[in-house]
Parts: sequence; structure tokens; C-alpha cells
Amino acid sequence: MQRCPNCDAELESPLGCAACQRIFDPPEGLSPFELLGLPQAFALDEAHLRRRVLRLGRLVHPDFFGNAPAQERELAERNSARLNRAHELLADPVERANWFVTALGGPAENEQRSMPQAFLAEVLEWNELLEEARAAPAGSGLRERLEALASTLAAERARGLKSIAAHLAPLPERGSLLLRELRTQLNALRYVDRALSEIESLSLARASLR
Amino acid sequence: MGYIELNVLNAPATTPSTLALGIDLGTTNSLAAIWKDGRPVVLHPEGKSGLVPSVIHFPPDGMPIVGREARDHAVADPRHVIFSIKRFMGRGLADMRPELASLPYQASESDNGLIQLEVQGRKYTPEQLSALILMRVHDLACRALGGQDVRKCVITVPAYFDDTQRQATRDAARLAGLEVLRIVNEPTAASLAYGLDQRDKGNVAVFDLGGGTFDVTVLTIEDSVFRVLSTAGDTHLGGDDFDQLLAGLARAELGPLYGDELLGDPGFQQAIRLGAEQCKIALTNDPEAELRVVIPAKRISWRRRIEREEFEALCAPLVERTISACRQALSDAKLEPGEIDEVVLVGGATRMPCVRERVQRFFGRKPHTELNPDEVVALGAAVQANILMGGRRDMLLMDVTPLSLGVETMGGAVSKIIQRNSTIPCEATEGFTTYVDNQTGLDFHIVQGERELAHDCRSLGRFQLKGIPPMPAGMARVAVKFHIDADGVLTVGAKELGTGKSAVVEIQPMHGLTDAEVERMLKEGFAHAREDFDQRRAADLKIEIGTMVRATESNLNAGRAGLDRESVHDLEEAMEHAKQACSGSDLKALQKARDEFERATLPLAALLMNNVAQKALMGRKLGDV
Repeated sequence: MQRCPNCDAELESPLGCAACQRIFDPPEGLSPFELLGLPQAFALDEAHLRRRVLRLGRLVHPDFFGNAPAQERELAERNSARLNRAHELLADPVERANWFVTALGGPAENEQRSMPQAFLAEVLEWNELLEEARAAPAGSGLRERLEALASTLAAERARGLKSIAAHLAPLPERGSLLLRELRTQLNALRYVDRALSEIESLSLARASLR
Repeated sequence: MGYIELNVLNAPATTPSTLALGIDLGTTNSLAAIWKDGRPVVLHPEGKSGLVPSVIHFPPDGMPIVGREARDHAVADPRHVIFSIKRFMGRGLADMRPELASLPYQASESDNGLIQLEVQGRKYTPEQLSALILMRVHDLACRALGGQDVRKCVITVPAYFDDTQRQATRDAARLAGLEVLRIVNEPTAASLAYGLDQRDKGNVAVFDLGGGTFDVTVLTIEDSVFRVLSTAGDTHLGGDDFDQLLAGLARAELGPLYGDELLGDPGFQQAIRLGAEQCKIALTNDPEAELRVVIPAKRISWRRRIEREEFEALCAPLVERTISACRQALSDAKLEPGEIDEVVLVGGATRMPCVRERVQRFFGRKPHTELNPDEVVALGAAVQANILMGGRRDMLLMDVTPLSLGVETMGGAVSKIIQRNSTIPCEATEGFTTYVDNQTGLDFHIVQGERELAHDCRSLGRFQLKGIPPMPAGMARVAVKFHIDADGVLTVGAKELGTGKSAVVEIQPMHGLTDAEVERMLKEGFAHAREDFDQRRAADLKIEIGTMVRATESNLNAGRAGLDRESVHDLEEAMEHAKQACSGSDLKALQKARDEFERATLPLAALLMNNVAQKALMGRKLGDV
């Protein structure tokens, strides 16, 4: 654990010191885990993460630097943005897994777009239903079928995340072939998330039509 | 639940240098508040309301007038009275086309795509016009503070305002000579005013239907941190639109009576507008009201009874639009209506019973209406101003950006860089490269919005990267960093990484007022507006002192006998000082002399009051008393 150069208290995060309220300018390129002072592991307690972000937010938010010199105000802006970005990357398990795959030297999202073979057949069927719903949002029986699809997708998501979590603990070695497999699974999860959000917007659109 | 004082004993005492105003710059009304003695209070000069109608009148020659007096000219001089300027902030001519058709003044577009309104032969940007309103609000606020000139402020904007609209608001404040500490979203400010930090934990929905804009914000409170989860809304939906429903009804029935030509007359249109607004307000309390269109100069006086039911049927589609936005906000926050613990109503238009009922039905919960919906935003801005001035560290507000930020890709699609409802400040970095050998510049188009295609989103402008070192195509690696600050305003920075030299790349924004333009406007004429206002204030004070001198002189002889010598001496001295102050035009001296004069007249006034009361009693029979 690092210590505060100002008051020598133990530092929870390189963004600032809770003991003396100083904020620092950490080097670029720190991982989101390092910025938040959390162990670098896929498994993460979401409530713990949220409380950590709120606590650090109280330390670095520009609101508390309204009277500070311009340079310090800008640093507060930057540190808050770094904090919020780190939170965003870690709060959602799909984003978190994505971060690990990229950070461990695996293929980026736009470098490998493949999805698991077994998944593709289902995707075709699901796309057909979504297409139909897009064309006629108030179509008969659509609501039930979309709701059924949403629960299938939610189950698929949970299953996929479990598999990814198992592959990420312990973390694979840098550049391991396993990362290609993880990217394929993540692509499937990205599809699931997009489809779920589309179902949600279709249901909102239907609610407004009524 | 009003505002409850918190930790006042621990807070450092507020000294003058730590004062900052909270300003609600509204479509219909504007208002300032300040943190005082441990709570936010609305600022209004004695005997006057602090609420300034956001209306400007340009007399043929002379200074623009803002507020109630300006509104009174709407029917008689419609071509020179400007309403609802907030709707134009940060907008181009094309955005406003439908609304411009019904406006009595000319609009044009400046070279950089900004709208300009022409009044009395001069062109004004919405920023300049808003600055006039801000100056008036500031002026009244300073008077309420006993002449103290407080220039620091927090200004509120609709949560759904995009980057350009926020920048326009910031520029307006600069033109008004104000220092903006922070731009705060109106619904979020309202939640601060309600003192909801008293809760340990809970979810809050703020429903804000103002004069011209609608926002709904969902936030969660945990450990005294207000964290906004989502916001949704419509910058073109407000009380004005409800007025238009009644105005449309009036026009439909007046057309056959007076002909379309007369109906198109600006004075007629303003009379319809005002009549519609009055009728809407009356229908808030009464089951039926009269829709009146009165133009004394043309001897027109038209009336029609409207029942609340009839009006509400007209309103239903607008109200449903607000509910759709509520559904969207809840969906983005991943909450169900039943998971909302508190609902807060903000904005004058939420006084309408049909709006209240619908919101209550949707959330299944009675909304908070304890605070005046016209004042709650300014009060919240004052709470935020106090936090920014270092007054308290026990609560924190974390807001979000309302719209996704993206870059146009080949083929006109949008590649999203920052998602909507991301907590601000936030940042994201995107890589760009060159596609021709030795290319040294790169254009990219930044948009805000949720649509798939760039031309369906709001353009924030085309940016140019310049100064990329010459190298083969695809070798340059330019990292562009997008930063949305705590005001919700975007800044863009870029670095070339390919050479490993991290050359700084220059970026030119291509929209909005440039800093140089703001400077120029400040120098030209507009800087004088502040002096003009000061002069007007000085003139007002002189008139007031004159009235007080006459009243004192005519009463002092009669009252002298009843007063002690010291009071008489003080009064005569203060009156002499005030007369002397009137020979100059030093605003501070005038203000001070007036205040001291007024204080010195108190014993005489009390004496006269007693005499009058006694006379009044003597003149009556005992039985009447």
C-alpha cells in the first residue's frame, strides 16, 4: 500500500488522500483497479465497489474545489473523470471481462467478431422476431413472445457470465489462446445485451402507443 | 417537508466574500436565491417580487426593459417584445423554423450558424438577450442584498440541454458580467432544495415541467451523495405548449369573425397568447374559466367559457409525452415505478391538476409540492452555490450527461464514445488515423443524441485536427480525448502518438460563440449595458429619495412636537445627506444615503401612523370598532 507524500497516511487510491484531503495526479495508464485501490480480479463485490466510488467521489469531486486555484480545480475535474471511467469499466461484468481480455493481450472487439457456433443458429431465430417487432410494435401476440425471449436472453447472459468468470479465475496468462475463446463468448454476451436493450425500447414504444 | 437545516453549527460563518447567487434562468420567469443563515432564501427587493418575467421590451429609443414592465407592452408593441428566448439558446435557424413562423420579429443566421433576432434595427443573439435578463435578475438580487455586488453564481439549465445550449448559457452569463461557478441541472437542483439528504437511502424522481422545457430525473441518495441515475426529457415541451392549445382554440373560433389577416397581426397574436395563459392558470383552481382576447386599441373583446374537462382533453397527448419520458428514465435507471420513494414536482406547469394526477397515478405516490414550484430551482442552485463556495462538505451531487456523445463514421453512422447517463465529469479516448500519405490534418464531426445516423443527432460541430507530422497513411495515431466537465460541457484534446512524440494537435471548434466573439460583444455596447443598468438604478434611487424628501418635509412640522430632539436631528441630517447624494450618481452612495434616510424616518412614520390611527378611531362610532 502506498503512503501519502503529504501526511504519510496509507493511501486507498492514488487519486487522493482521505486523511489530509490532498489530491494527486497519478500517471496515465493505471488500471481501473489500481485507480480505485482494488485487487485485480474478475470477482468483485458490487456494493463494495459502489461505496468505494462514492467515498473517492467525495474526495476528488470538483464541487469541493470551487475556491481552489485553477490548476487544482482542473486536477479535480480530471481525477473525477478518471474515477467515473474506472467505475464504468468495472461496474458491469461484461465491461469488466472485456477489460481483462484486452489488458491481457487478447484480441480487441473489432479484431475478432466471431460468436460461438451453437449460438449463431439461435441468433438467426431471435433476429427474425426482433425484425417483426420493429416493423409492427403493436402486433398481436408479440408482447408475450418478446417477454419469453427476454427471459431466455437473461438466462443466456447469466450462463455466459458464469462461464467467463470460471475462465478468468485464476487469470489466464498474457496472450493465452484462452483469450480468443473468451472474446468469442463476450461477443455473444454483447449480442445478448443489445437484444435485451432493443426489447426494452420496443416495450417503451408500445407503452407510449397505448 | 420543507428544507431542514443541517449541521449549521459546524458550518463556517458565511462572510461576504464567500457569497454566490443561485440563478434560475427560466423560459417564462427567472429568479435568484442565496444561502443565508443555514438555508437557501429567494432574493427579492423589499416590497417587490424577485420573480422576473423573462421578457424584454425594446422601446424605440432608449434602453431595453426587462421583466413585468416589458410584458405589459406585449399587446401594444408586439414587434419589440421578446418572450421565451431560452428556446433559442444554442439553436440554429433550421431548428427553430416551425416556431419562427408565429413570431413577429425577423430572424437570421450569423456566419457561424447561430440564430439572431432583429429588433429595432439591431441584431441580437439569444445569448445577448438572455444576458439582459440575467443583468436584471442580478440587479434585483444585489438590491435585496443591500447593494452588495455579488458576481459569482450557479446557473441552472434543463437537464436535457445539450452541449451547445449549455455553452450558450455560460456565454450569456459572461456577457452579463457574471462569473459562473457551475451550470447545474434544474431537476437536480430542485432535489437539493427539498433537503432530501435527510434520507439515508432512497430513490427520487424529479418531474420538472417548466415554461418551455420538460425534464425527468431519477436519482438515488446514499450516504448523503445524490447520484443521478438517469435523465430524460424534451427541450421543446412546457407550459407554453399548453397555452398554445388554448390559443389554437381561440384562433379557430376568431378566424371566421375577424379574418385571417387580422389574426396574423402580432398584437392580436400576443393578446391571444396572454389570454390563453391566463385562462390556463385560472383553470388550475376553478372547474371552468373564461378564455378572453382583449385588444383595447382595436375595440376587440372576445370571451368564451372553457371547462376544465375540455382543456384536459386537449392536454392529454402532451401529458402522455411527459409520462413516456418518465418510463424511459426509469428504464435507464433500471427501476420500476414502485421503487421510487419520493416524487418531486418542479416548474409552474406542474400546478395543473391533470399533470399532478397523472404523475401520482404513474408513480403510485403523492408527489411533493411543499415548496413553490417557481422558486425551488433557484433555491437548489443556492444550495449548490454554497457547496461550491466551501460552505459544506457533507453532501455531494453527482450528475450525468443527458445525451450520448459520438463521432460520425464513414457512411454517416454514429460511433458512440460516451453513453448517455454517464456520471460527469467523464472522459473517453478515441483513436484516429490518416488515410492519405503525408496527411497533416483530420476532420471529425461530433454529435450528441441517441439516433443511429449522424444527421438525426444534434451536431456539436466539425472539429479539425491540424499539425499531424507527415508520415505514410495509417501510421499516424491520433488519440482524441473527449472530456465532459461537471457543467456537462465538452472539451476536446488530441495527441499524436505514432511518432512517440505526443505532438499536441490543434483543435478548432466550428460552432457557438468563440471566446473572441464574447470578448468583442463585451467590449461593444454590451459592456455599456451594465453601466446603463447602474445608471437606471441610480435614477430610480434619486426618484425614491425625492419622494421621501417631499413626504418628510410636509410631515415634519406637524410631527416635530411629538418627536424627541435626537430623532429630529438624525432625520434632518439623513435627509441632507440624501439630498447631497442626489447631486452625484454614485450608486453605492445613493443606496447608502437612501437606506440611512429611510431608517431615520422610522420614528416620524410611527408617530404619524399613531396619529392617523387615532383620528380614524375618533371619527367612528364606538359600535363600529
